[in-house]
Amino acid sequence: MSKFERQTLTVDGVKTVVHTAGHGEPLVFFHGAGTVDGFDFAERWTDRFRVIAPYHPGFGESGDDPSFTTMHDYVMHYLELFDMLRLDRFNLVGLSMGGYLAAKFASEHGHRIRKLSLIAPAGLIDPKNPMLDILAVPGEAVPGLLVSDFEVLKKKLPEKPDLDFMGDRYREAGTVARLFWEHPGDPKFMRYLHRIKVPTQIIWGEEDKIIPAGQAETWRKFIPNADIQIYKGAGHLVHLERPEAVDAVARFMG
Amino acid sequence: MAAPLRFNVMHFMPYSYLPENHKEYKSTWVSFPNKFFDPEKGHELYNRYIGELVLADELGYDAVVVNEHHNTVYSLMATPNIIASALVAKTKNVRICVWGTPPNFMLPNRLAEEYAVLDVMSKGRIEVAFPLGTGMEYWSNPVNPATARDKFRESLKIILQAWSEDGPTTHYGNHYTYRFLNPWPRPYQRPHPPCYIVGTGSPETIEIAAELGFGYASVFVTQARAKELNEQLRERAAHFGHTIRPDQLPLLTFVYVAETQEQAEKEYIPHLQRFFEDYARTIPQYLAPPGYLSVDQLKVRAATADKMHGGFDFKAISSSFFISVGTPDKVANDIGEWSARMKTNHINSVMHVADMPHWKTVKNLTLFAEEVMPRLRQRAGSPQRLAAE
Repeated sequence: MSKFERQTLTVDGVKTVVHTAGHGEPLVFFHGAGTVDGFDFAERWTDRFRVIAPYHPGFGESGDDPSFTTMHDYVMHYLELFDMLRLDRFNLVGLSMGGYLAAKFASEHGHRIRKLSLIAPAGLIDPKNPMLDILAVPGEAVPGLLVSDFEVLKKKLPEKPDLDFMGDRYREAGTVARLFWEHPGDPKFMRYLHRIKVPTQIIWGEEDKIIPAGQAETWRKFIPNADIQIYKGAGHLVHLERPEAVDAVARFMG
Repeated sequence: MAAPLRFNVMHFMPYSYLPENHKEYKSTWVSFPNKFFDPEKGHELYNRYIGELVLADELGYDAVVVNEHHNTVYSLMATPNIIASALVAKTKNVRICVWGTPPNFMLPNRLAEEYAVLDVMSKGRIEVAFPLGTGMEYWSNPVNPATARDKFRESLKIILQAWSEDGPTTHYGNHYTYRFLNPWPRPYQRPHPPCYIVGTGSPETIEIAAELGFGYASVFVTQARAKELNEQLRERAAHFGHTIRPDQLPLLTFVYVAETQEQAEKEYIPHLQRFFEDYARTIPQYLAPPGYLSVDQLKVRAATADKMHGGFDFKAISSSFFISVGTPDKVANDIGEWSARMKTNHINSVMHVADMPHWKTVKNLTLFAEEVMPRLRQRAGSPQRLAAE
């Protein structure tokens, strides 16, 4: 396993920080709507893949672009970044909101994707298994909803109230609000999901309190051959709670 | 002091029948269940409060002020223009200030039209303020707090264009498209009623007021902060080529006048305490929806909130904000001192708070008009009534 190296790029005027580690086929990871979980978990992929983990604009170490108001803006951002990185064809893994983005990217630019792995992906309007309206949840209540075993997340959180940490989370929530406050779901996203033809894996924690694992079966309606893996005893951040889920991604991509 | 003082009465029109168990709920805003609203009591309150503002007209105040809040006992004015309409019909001389409807919660042409209707109906007695709206309003209305400032700016541009330019004109923006911006009627006052921005001190909002040459009314900031904000506005407005007049800086005060200091405190403080503790009771999440504040402002406010934590302390709170409670002499002295320090002649006073009964409100309004206003006007050597100009 190798450690990530940090690279700062300017993509269409936006400061974009990309963490890269490992050798082999390229594997891009899209993080979710918060960045508390970090990229350390992805070191498990670095033995077999060159892992490329960018921070989306408005999150983590990347800069802000207030003109980003739709997921399509992020698709365009990544087309530009992948061109800069000379990434022609690659494996794509997306977590939660990053899963939504990965699926959208794959439905629009499938020829650039080798294999797709979606971990607890957001994006579906699924009235029988509705996603929690995370924007309506008070910030202090969010961490408890992310995992099944809080100890897993606790070490990534400040011990005492921390203004900078609070500010970082508020900034990311603001970026999410910009995208989803008025329209948490986009029916057009599902309209074109059937265009995903690449081998696709879907991973979920059975006890996900943010996006119910029941949505995995709904994804199957759009991507009939998806390989679905549900992990018992894990919540939304299944990649932190279950290292074998992280290994399953590498196996699928391999 | 050269400029004559101007006296407003501002009314929040609260739903003053808070249920005893209200503390079982985390806030009296946004999510406080509307099953507690009794329309019989609401009917009584609207009539009473409107009557109190009509009395202010009869007592010789210069202006009455209404504003807008949603989903709360703090204010029953979800639609302040409707209240203003009643005031237009029932008052003769006072200027009627709607301070105001957040433009983001209404189509801009519609807001321009409503204010114009009121202005024409009242023969030019309307003044308007444009608030961004508190964080709480963005939980109660289907508008994105993260793009609110951009939308606010665009709305203001449309409203000013509708009022100032001969129509039809067009507007093609990020949020609105107007192919025929041509509202009838146009305001009675030309080019438009006096305009202010209301805010709690975000630099972004002050910048808008400065650019447009509008007045700025800071609300719920400390005395020291209010002074800084007035200075910031003067300085930034000068940068845009505008000179801010004293009357463009309304000073929000809370006043209660009685025969003696002791009696004033006894009659007033319990209501003021309930105002801060119960009627203004909300939570950080509601105050700052995602994207509503800049990250810097969030940190500043979170740090201040930590310091202000603690029970109600009248002495601390009255020296922190512009709160004057006491005899006519005491209140006149306070206001005289504040107006000089804040370089304003525009005194905007809240004279009813929380569950203050009607008789106290009438007493307060009457004593202030008959005992405080003459003392201050005498000093200023000013005409009897500013609004009659």
